[in-house]
Amino acid sequence: MTNVTRRDLLKAGVAAASIIASPAFAEPEAGAQLRVLRWKQFVQGDIDLWTANTRKFTEMTGIKVRVDTESWEDIRPKAAVAAQVGTGPDIIIGTLDDPHKFPDALLDLSELATYLGSKYGGWYDPCVAYGMHDGRWIGLPQGAAGACINYRVSHVRAAGFEEIPKDTAGFLKLCEALKARGTPAGMALGHATGDANSWCHWLVWAHGGKMVDAKNNVVIDSPETVAALDYAKALYPTFIPGTRSWQDPSNNKAFLAGEISLTNNGISIYTVAKNSKDAGQQAIAADMNHTNFPIGPVGRPTEQHLLLQAYAFKYSKYPKAVQEYLRFMWEAEQYEPWQEASNGYVSPPLAKYTESPVWTRDPKVTPFRDVVKGMLPNGYAGTLGAASAAVMGDFIMVDMVAEAAAGDRTPKEAAARAAERAKRFYRG
Amino acid sequence: MSTRGGTLTRLGSRLGILSRVRERGGGVGGLALLFMAPAGLVLLIFLTYPLALGLWLGLSDARIGTPGHFVGFDNFLSLARDQVFLLSVFNTCFYTVIASVIKFALGLYLALLLNERLPLKSLIRAIVLLPFVVPTVLSAIAFWWIYDAQFSILSWVMIKLGLIDHYLDFLGEPWAARWSVIAANIWRGIPFVAITLLAGLQTISPSLYEAASLDGASAWQNFRYITLPMLSPIIAVVMTFSVLMTFTDFQLIYVITRGGPVNATHLMATLSYQRAITDNELGEGAAIADAMIPFLLAAILFSYFGLQRRRWQHG
Amino acid sequence: MGNAIPRRLVTVYLPLLILLFVLLFPFYWMAITSFKPDAELYDYSHFNPFWVVHPTLDHINKLLFETSYPDWMINTTLVAVSSTVLALLCSVCAAYAIERLRFRGAALAGLAIFLAYLVPPSILFLPLAAMIYHLGLFDSDFALILTYPTFLVPFCTWLLMGYFRTIPYELEECALIDGASRLQILRKITLPLAVPGLISAAIFAFTLSWNEFIYALTFISSSENKTIPVGAITELVEGDVYHWGSLMAAALLGSAPVVLLYSFFVEYYVSSLTGAVKE
Repeated sequence: MTNVTRRDLLKAGVAAASIIASPAFAEPEAGAQLRVLRWKQFVQGDIDLWTANTRKFTEMTGIKVRVDTESWEDIRPKAAVAAQVGTGPDIIIGTLDDPHKFPDALLDLSELATYLGSKYGGWYDPCVAYGMHDGRWIGLPQGAAGACINYRVSHVRAAGFEEIPKDTAGFLKLCEALKARGTPAGMALGHATGDANSWCHWLVWAHGGKMVDAKNNVVIDSPETVAALDYAKALYPTFIPGTRSWQDPSNNKAFLAGEISLTNNGISIYTVAKNSKDAGQQAIAADMNHTNFPIGPVGRPTEQHLLLQAYAFKYSKYPKAVQEYLRFMWEAEQYEPWQEASNGYVSPPLAKYTESPVWTRDPKVTPFRDVVKGMLPNGYAGTLGAASAAVMGDFIMVDMVAEAAAGDRTPKEAAARAAERAKRFYRG
Repeated sequence: MSTRGGTLTRLGSRLGILSRVRERGGGVGGLALLFMAPAGLVLLIFLTYPLALGLWLGLSDARIGTPGHFVGFDNFLSLARDQVFLLSVFNTCFYTVIASVIKFALGLYLALLLNERLPLKSLIRAIVLLPFVVPTVLSAIAFWWIYDAQFSILSWVMIKLGLIDHYLDFLGEPWAARWSVIAANIWRGIPFVAITLLAGLQTISPSLYEAASLDGASAWQNFRYITLPMLSPIIAVVMTFSVLMTFTDFQLIYVITRGGPVNATHLMATLSYQRAITDNELGEGAAIADAMIPFLLAAILFSYFGLQRRRWQHG
Repeated sequence: MGNAIPRRLVTVYLPLLILLFVLLFPFYWMAITSFKPDAELYDYSHFNPFWVVHPTLDHINKLLFETSYPDWMINTTLVAVSSTVLALLCSVCAAYAIERLRFRGAALAGLAIFLAYLVPPSILFLPLAAMIYHLGLFDSDFALILTYPTFLVPFCTWLLMGYFRTIPYELEECALIDGASRLQILRKITLPLAVPGLISAAIFAFTLSWNEFIYALTFISSSENKTIPVGAITELVEGDVYHWGSLMAAALLGSAPVVLLYSFFVEYYVSSLTGAVKE
């Protein structure tokens, strides 16, 4: 009995100490006002809790915060303009390696990142790669809009499979069987920032292909890539027609309408179906499940997920308030309820946050929990920077897979073309 | 309708007065400068200078905020090998030619209809101009909704009529998307063509038609030998504007498809925006915009010389 | 003669009605969607899409109270009015100079202004963007107020030139001989007679300004500084949900001021279109 009490005391003491010992960025400027631009939510609970947390912050500190939301695609150019022009939002919560395009314009968040890392079990390696540039933290990873294979359990079973095959060869067979039964798969091949990037990168990496090597030489034009594109060519006919122009919402709509039985997506499809008042949608929610991507010939997971991170600009008039706001929103008291309300839309960047009950309460959500730990950064295998960001922004990987899959070019030509395009950014 | 010849004649007659006014003192030259100054300044600073700057940017590797260095024709050379750019040139020419031809045909037809004896003519004319008055982007939003893959009213009607059996993916399939945006552009452009051609029709003296009908001319002959030639100066002007506005269209495409699917509806203007702003390659985007200039000059010169020849025919 | 009437029906009235229907339908669709509740909007099997069973103000409410739409409306109006005023000031002076002052090179100036109108915004927007960033005007209404005249001034000048030309020069000549200054002549004689032209030019300029998109998209960034077209496109789509009801409401409300203006001044509109082209 006494042991427990003492341990409790100890825990309480540590907690108290950590609050007292909070780094001194908790001295925001008087009369500060913040402007935050973040990505548009896919799940209503996400924005509800973000707004509620922000309001809590304002009540506690008196700092007014204005949160605007725009689509991922529209944030990218705005961030670039803000960095160059020297005026705009104080904080941007955007995607991937965008901060690496203008590191010198960004506030140093190292102190904050170190504090959060040590308090919450450490940052996962990919987060360190995305957040750090030249030894200092320029971005604060929020997590990743994790992607998993979303599938209809009954349709997969009817096609003769108990679960999604764990290897790419089996996966292809599954898609062929689904198509034969009139319950096809469908994955985006348009310029869908989340969905198209995730499966196209996975596909190429799973076969050993990659955009650049460790020295940032463009090596996409390789036999491994061609093998991946051959696979894509075999996979594409099993899709429902029209995926070439699919944007991020397209597969959501198709899945919820029962037009496809398998796709790659975040938790948004499941969340919408589960919360819907319509019986048909709820039935889909009950009949669907998630699993991680299959493993290719390279023998290990090769997933790409849409990393979300916050970054702040040096031109901000209130850098201390910026850091305080970020600290506040990343602390467990705010982050965990927000994670909960998002129903697992964002997979956490810090180890401790995987322990939240939201990840295990509903077993269908669990596959999303650990994706950040093992994901590969988009500039794989090179370093993140302006070139990798530009390659992502131009959808070079996606276009290559789309061209080869639909037969616009042969796999060899598609890979060569991708190399040509990438070299324009990786030159010098 | 003023012609250059008329202007010169009037100029000549004014010169007499002008010299008398000048004798009375008053530097007309200085005053003119003063009067031209506001417009001149605005246009020099925000039009002439940017035009030159745009040409220079196209020859540089500038990004937003960073001035960039002169790289000669690098941008143009790389664009010449760029499939997406070449596709955008094709798209722009296709879009412009098809939409302009149809706009002209339908606009002329509508003008002929409106020229008839009709009740409520003013009201009808007001209705006809409506698509031109309403901001393009806002009507584009309406078209975006009309073309929705799942809820298109067009598909619904066609299914009810038994013409098709599934909802059309207007904006998801490359050629369907092209025709969809062309249709939207035509819808928006007909009023301008129709109303201006109508004004032209109304200046044609009825006596010409009377004389022709006395000679036994058919409606088609009336049209071909009286209406068209009399209208051709106005047609030239209207179509020049129409072609220019269609070629450089940005709003309609940006709202409805943003250039997709798979770049099938990317025009040079929208591609320029994407490369320069979204991809932060200001130099390359400017080069794309500059590439539009030869086409525009060709269109202007074509109609200018065409116009001159027709003026000659009038004697 | 008995056959002529049905024939006219088919060759004139029917095509006219069809064309009018096609021209009007998108507006009807826009309006009806703005007032249709979501339940009816996405359910064609139970609700005929052409009617509204339970009209609702929900979408308009959402638009006005949950987005920055009021800000966008204010911005758009402010920019349209300011740039129209600025453009008119420039145009009146320039048109008067070219038509009345007959200075050496007036014809050239006239031609230059005409050519200026032919330079499309989609070519100018990039160098203008670079300039706007440099001048520190980015994300402010001034960026638009100063750049809109580039396409407003040429058109208005051209239009006003036509109107000034119709005013008999003798009136001004008499005043000149009596010793009046040019400015007095402009104010007391020319302008009052050119009022129809001024109204036409103002209305057209206002409409062109309200219609502008690419400059507003490129030069404005913050939500509360946007104009209606830009705001509607960028902020009314949430993730994968297109709020069609609010989008259509935004389009409807955004068109209202211009259409209202238009309905009062149709004749001026038509004359400005035809007057400009006739030159």
